[in-house]
Amino acid sequence: MKALVIDDSRVMRRIVGTILTDVGFEVIEAGDGQEALMRLEQHPDVRLCCIDWNMPVMNGYEFIVAARKRPEYRDITLMMVTTEGEQDQIVRALAAGAHEYVIKPFTADVIIDKLDYLGLIETGVSV
Amino acid sequence: MTLAPDSFAFVATLVRRRSAIQLESGKEYLVESRLAPLARLAGVADVEAYIRAVRANVTLHDQVVEALTTNETSWFRDRHPFTVLKDVVVPDTIARRGKHLRVWSAACSSGQEPYSIAMTMAEHFPDVRTSIVATDLSEEVLAKGRAGQYSQLEVSRGLPAPLLVKHFARKGPVFEVHERLRSTVTFRRHNLLDAPPLGGPYDVVFLRNVLIYFDVATKRDVMRRVRSVLAPGGWVFLGAAESTIGVDDIWERVPVAGGALYRPREGKAA
Amino acid sequence: MTATIDWAPVLDTDPLLQISQDLFATMIDAEPGHVHHWVGSRPELVDPRYTWVDVTDEQIVRVVIGTGRETGEAITRALLALPDDAEVTDEDFMDAVGEVANVVCGNVKSLVTHPGTLTIPVVAHAAPPLGDGTVLVDACLSWRGAPLTVALWLLP
Repeated sequence: MKALVIDDSRVMRRIVGTILTDVGFEVIEAGDGQEALMRLEQHPDVRLCCIDWNMPVMNGYEFIVAARKRPEYRDITLMMVTTEGEQDQIVRALAAGAHEYVIKPFTADVIIDKLDYLGLIETGVSV
Repeated sequence: MTLAPDSFAFVATLVRRRSAIQLESGKEYLVESRLAPLARLAGVADVEAYIRAVRANVTLHDQVVEALTTNETSWFRDRHPFTVLKDVVVPDTIARRGKHLRVWSAACSSGQEPYSIAMTMAEHFPDVRTSIVATDLSEEVLAKGRAGQYSQLEVSRGLPAPLLVKHFARKGPVFEVHERLRSTVTFRRHNLLDAPPLGGPYDVVFLRNVLIYFDVATKRDVMRRVRSVLAPGGWVFLGAAESTIGVDDIWERVPVAGGALYRPREGKAA
Repeated sequence: MTATIDWAPVLDTDPLLQISQDLFATMIDAEPGHVHHWVGSRPELVDPRYTWVDVTDEQIVRVVIGTGRETGEAITRALLALPDDAEVTDEDFMDAVGEVANVVCGNVKSLVTHPGTLTIPVVAHAAPPLGDGTVLVDACLSWRGAPLTVALWLLP
């Protein structure tokens, strides 16, 4: 399964990407929302996006709004991974179409639990 | 690394005296895995060295007992029981007894299990009157459960974001369970070796990942006490790795979608 | 949008300690127990690096993190799971230490329910000028025995 990790920080892309790779995803990356939309054109088989909120060019919230306007992307699971932890922000992201929301800092287990709940990994994957 | 027999015996005796929990031989892995983080924190080479330090220092005993008796606490732990609750147990109970569900969440730790049950009911059966009695040995975890306040890291373990924003309110550094959910859960101190808690009979009992600590005779006794407060037709959830098989034949194991439920066999005397 | 923000939840070094402890326990050390308040007089940072992130609104709050270069490199290696002797590039350094500032700042913003937006982290050899700003909190923490300063400024 393909996942797209969208974050302007290479460090965060690598951390999230490693967790996803360990549970069997093929990971591609984008540094902002605009680049992510481009990657989705190139990789229509992406099933999961992990999205930072604060990024240059196009932020994660704007990306979700843009992606949700495209019916061909409706099967993609959108998971925010961000330091924005206010309840209002979580509500906003979910209302815009995000399925899950992870607040930094997090452990690998947090991401894996959520993916498991969303039915995106086989249970019993050990890390 | 295998634990030296006398190190294991020391820990088993300590834990049994403090909590009545029985660590039989074969549970060395449990001791090792639970104590390894404490050994690292203490800066000693391994669990063996840590146990040597514990034997020499009585002030370390509490944390050993705590580490071996505290259950992992994530929301909707194992997920499957909550699906079975929604798809099987609640519809069955409603059909037999009407729109009222009485639940006992035993060894509930800091409240993630009873609140996960309460959220399941609020999401899928808002018109079913639900009362949950949640019990644990430790006053400390019960106080936390009653307060219903969890850190950002705690709410990130297994709790879906849509349920977080619906049933919790952020208050500074913590997320607090809404009063309407908290009011359905009563936290009480209870030792599984004592008479069952008031509030029964129960339509369903969650007794997960606690029998593993007991020897066979104690398992049977605990389960018989559970049976004495189970409503006719009531159900019991055990942990994924637990079973009544080889413990007591008064229990029937009913396979359901990838797991099992337990109920007393018809016509067997308690 | 009103700029009236209740700073009380962060007007103490403890919330900054708590946030830092959570961050290091989860993403850097993979276990708790390595971040504490610095005990004793505040040490000089050796070959210092400062990283800051702002929350911008009518009032700007700035989180400024200071470390010695060596400590920052250790944090970078831990975040990126690099071997102990791996060379740390400036790019990795800025990215990793910047992310630490970003997470601390985001968590501060959540604590005070600040409506503003986080800026992209900046890394430099010296702390930015405070100007007419106010220091709300100035904490000195210890990570594995090395000093790490975390400060919260309010800018006009």
